[in-house]
Amino acid sequence: MTSPQAGDSPSAIQARGLRRTFKGEIDAVREIDLDVAAGEVFGFLGPNGAGKTTTVRMLCTLLPPTAGSARVLGIDVLADPGAVRRRIGVALQEIGLDPVQTGRELLELQCGLYGITGSTARARVQELLELVGLVDAAERRTKTYSGGMKRRLDLASALVHAPEVLFLDEPTTGLDPASRLTIWEEVRRINAQGTTVFLTTQYLEEADQLCDRLAIIDEGLIVSRGTPEQLKSQLGHDVVSVTLDGADVAATKAAIGELPGLERVVAERDALALYVEDGPGSIAEIVRRLDGEQIRVGAISVSRPSLDDVFLQATGRRLEGREEHRERELQSA
Amino acid sequence: MTEVLLLGRRAVREVVRLPAATIPTLFIPLFFLAVNIGQISMTFPSTTPFLHGQGYVGFQLPVSMMFAVCTATSGLALVTEIELGYFDKLLVAPIRRSSMIFGRLSADLVRGLAVATLVLLVALAFGMKVRSGVGGALVLIVLAALWGVAYAGIGMLVALHTRNVQATNASFLVFFPLLFLTPNFVPFEKLTPLMEALARANPVSYVIEGLRSLVLEGWVLHKLAICFGVILLTGLVLTWLSVRAIDNYDR
Repeated sequence: MTSPQAGDSPSAIQARGLRRTFKGEIDAVREIDLDVAAGEVFGFLGPNGAGKTTTVRMLCTLLPPTAGSARVLGIDVLADPGAVRRRIGVALQEIGLDPVQTGRELLELQCGLYGITGSTARARVQELLELVGLVDAAERRTKTYSGGMKRRLDLASALVHAPEVLFLDEPTTGLDPASRLTIWEEVRRINAQGTTVFLTTQYLEEADQLCDRLAIIDEGLIVSRGTPEQLKSQLGHDVVSVTLDGADVAATKAAIGELPGLERVVAERDALALYVEDGPGSIAEIVRRLDGEQIRVGAISVSRPSLDDVFLQATGRRLEGREEHRERELQSA
Repeated sequence: MTEVLLLGRRAVREVVRLPAATIPTLFIPLFFLAVNIGQISMTFPSTTPFLHGQGYVGFQLPVSMMFAVCTATSGLALVTEIELGYFDKLLVAPIRRSSMIFGRLSADLVRGLAVATLVLLVALAFGMKVRSGVGGALVLIVLAALWGVAYAGIGMLVALHTRNVQATNASFLVFFPLLFLTPNFVPFEKLTPLMEALARANPVSYVIEGLRSLVLEGWVLHKLAICFGVILLTGLVLTWLSVRAIDNYDR
């Protein structure tokens, strides 16, 4: 994964005051600014309805902005949408496949639409089928594909013309963990070849794993942005996770009481998350207090703040899907 | 042009692979052809002046052909694509949006040629003869298919404006008043004055009259010219509206 910072190279994507209002005066996106450097994986993290898809649709010329401007590879999306389309690849949240065609036919058609024909198209289709591991299923109609296979074929169809910028709108939503990992590997591989990737997601782990930089969007506004590490380090505290393992939540909270450096306690499902200034230094005191009250817990672990904590800090709310992420953290601790 | 051919080939492939979408559209016209002939042919024997010596099947054939080619199939395919998200995939490709319409229309032409031929063969099996000969039969099939192409614009317009499968499917109903406010059972002069006025104001009447002339009368050029003119004008207007609708989609 490349790690450019905004400003190191010309912007692959630039938006200024981008806004979209739908009928009924619904502000889906409210004057956002974006700068995505060439070659980076940029994440757009937010819950359902935050404005991620609307932003992607404006950037890839499917939806005109109500106000503001956007440039992709230096081209104004409103002034010359055709030129933008020739140089971008798009895999939207709804997998865009024709169920009546086979995987190979679909990719061949996609090649044709981008002016790639004949033996060049056939070779490119074979290359992409191999890349996404669908050679064996290439002659089957896409309606017989599993969700993961459809997503991989959709990704392949966005790559037929080797786009300079790839837009992925929630590429792993609804996929099983194994398929999700496969897509992540593909995204990394595509990015390693120099393609700029603009990725929306509601999965914290995905943003953390894949993105060089990310912006957190909530209710149509970007509320925070930076590298995942920058965002997390801004919070400046550790998270001590106490797995309750059947212990009473209220009693455990009361026992821990006013721990030195404790900023906040969040009750999770069968766990407590303690936000403290010095995590490792607090462990002994937490154990002493629980022991004093004769409360037995399952496990205690320390971690750095997660993007979920960043989201909480920025919006005052947790991001959907955080429990899954927290569970993984606890399991890995 | 290449993109129209590519999208047209795909749409034709869809027609071939989904016969279940075409076969039901043949049932009603063939059913009506059989029932109408069975019920009315005794009332109008071949000596009836407006039948020009033919059986009633020759009079009814154009109506059945019109029934067979007028479908909302393209509109339904389009709205299904919208629902599945493939429509967006095509919109974001560097192609003219109108090519998505013309691609669909090319499938309508192929489907129209096939079903019109089939209906004609059934009518021939009933003993009908085409007065204008083999050439006339071919023109009959082509004109019917072209009318199907022209009419397909209604389904596509509804699909693009409503983005709703049910509404698009219901757009087929538009054809019932258009088809039945015509000289479909008897000539203009045998209709009641009100019905005759309505039928004469209905452009579909002249398409039926043109097709019917090929079967019953031979080459009646002025009827064919009017028939072709109505098909052309309808096709141009509805296709232009469809292209405009797709060009303005989400804009």
